[in-house]
Amino acid sequence: MERSGTARRKISKQQLVVATLFMLMLSTLSFRAGSSRASDPYPLNYPAYFGNRFVIPADNPITREGVRLGRALFYDPLLSSNGKVSCATCHQQDKAFSDGFRFSIGVDSLVTRRNSMSLANLLWVKNLFWDGRSHSLEDQASIPMFDVHEMNQPADLSAMKLRSDKYYQQLFQDAFGDRKITGDRLIKALAQFERTLISAGSPYDHYLTGAYTPSQEEQRGLDLFMGHNASSAAQVNCSHCHGSPRLMVELFHNNGLDKEPTDHGREDVTQDRADRGRFRVPTLRNIAVTAPYMHDGRFETLRQVLDHYSDHVQTSETLSSFIADAAASDGRSGYLLTDRQKNDIIAFLNMLTDTTFLTNPDFGPPQKGIRGK
Amino acid sequence: MIRIFFVASLVLITGALAFAQTAEEPTLRVSGEVMKPLSLTAGDLSRMPQAKIKAKDHDNVEHEYGGVPLVEILRAAGVTLGKQLRGENLAKYVLVAAADNYQALYALPELDPEFTDDVVLLATTVDSKPLPKGEGPFRLVNPTDKKHARWIREIRSINVHYAKD
Repeated sequence: MERSGTARRKISKQQLVVATLFMLMLSTLSFRAGSSRASDPYPLNYPAYFGNRFVIPADNPITREGVRLGRALFYDPLLSSNGKVSCATCHQQDKAFSDGFRFSIGVDSLVTRRNSMSLANLLWVKNLFWDGRSHSLEDQASIPMFDVHEMNQPADLSAMKLRSDKYYQQLFQDAFGDRKITGDRLIKALAQFERTLISAGSPYDHYLTGAYTPSQEEQRGLDLFMGHNASSAAQVNCSHCHGSPRLMVELFHNNGLDKEPTDHGREDVTQDRADRGRFRVPTLRNIAVTAPYMHDGRFETLRQVLDHYSDHVQTSETLSSFIADAAASDGRSGYLLTDRQKNDIIAFLNMLTDTTFLTNPDFGPPQKGIRGK
Repeated sequence: MIRIFFVASLVLITGALAFAQTAEEPTLRVSGEVMKPLSLTAGDLSRMPQAKIKAKDHDNVEHEYGGVPLVEILRAAGVTLGKQLRGENLAKYVLVAAADNYQALYALPELDPEFTDDVVLLATTVDSKPLPKGEGPFRLVNPTDKKHARWIREIRSINVHYAKD
């Protein structure tokens, strides 16, 4: 029997359903393959009172897989020339990512120039290092790697070392869409991880949301520190530099450590004599666990820090005018605090310790261990 | 031979002096949404329209501050003021930055005489003397502000930008 040229094949309902399901299945498969390229955004969690004054570079959004890779790299000593020093060596979580030493020891057993800084809340910091010479986490990450006294292995060389590792091949694939392991991607992943290190769960934060009532000592210390009951300008003005919910204002000040500073600080960056001995104000969050203190770790205890500001401020050409006005005029050498005032302020400073941050497993070494082992 | 040596040392010394001059003299930089970025010394400012304002500092004593109204500096840099301060130009702000990186902003209408009679002064002298170390060489004095948080000391730069939304 001849088939008519205009004969149409009748498609049954059943065939239609099967066909549709098949198409759906196909499109789901391709969607899943596609999502390994576009990794899920990582949800940043911070209180509204931190504000949104930060920049995430357009070419390095924070993704779950990028953070996962960055975290693995952060804890991997393979990124150093002797295979023993990772970022975490000098930035330990239980010390809010500082290391408890005055100066740090890198691969060649010589010490670094300055004290290791805490990495909490760097998303909001635009001037990194004690002298503010770096302006992004991407820029900063390669510097300790390059430094012969720190990790002594540029990122490109680390990338070469990781290239044959199947665990990293998978992590890079998940984070960037393919298995190309490059120094640039390594650094981007590290920066993503660092941006997630947010500390906002201390008793001080609970106080700000009305969920914590400070003790009398803590409240006195808080009021003194924040200048709440200041009746005149010549008062304790810690909050000028160390105020705001992030416990730092991004300023560069000479806080009177030396009459003639041996470390010129900011002056080395700006070449401006007026910047001699100026250093960037660091956050006081978690300060109880980030001893020793100052750019050269000269003070071992908070009491020594308070003693400095109270009784040992050194005058110089570049001493901060805010400290000078309040504490170094009329022949004084400090804020002249009483013992009780010092203890009160230290009680307040202890309110800034965020134990959830210090123990959050998301910020610690990868569960699977280094390189998946 | 001696002549060459003499001329060479003169050149070197002059060069060194000139370098020393530019390295030491503080300047005020104006940039951003300007027709002409500026780098002003105290000398440059002394040749601009002057004003004097009486105001009380933190010591609660009245002083007389002398200098240039901030609006005149912006005018010299070609910022959209007066008749031009309308429409999109009203989404601009002036960010004043100090030597220690302290920053505070002003809206253009706060500074423009066609919007306000208040004067915000870029001061260079107090009571006819140069501003003291730690305050100068350039400081904002703004008696309209009851609190002094925007009386920025040791000003290094003035930047005009559009607000981002």
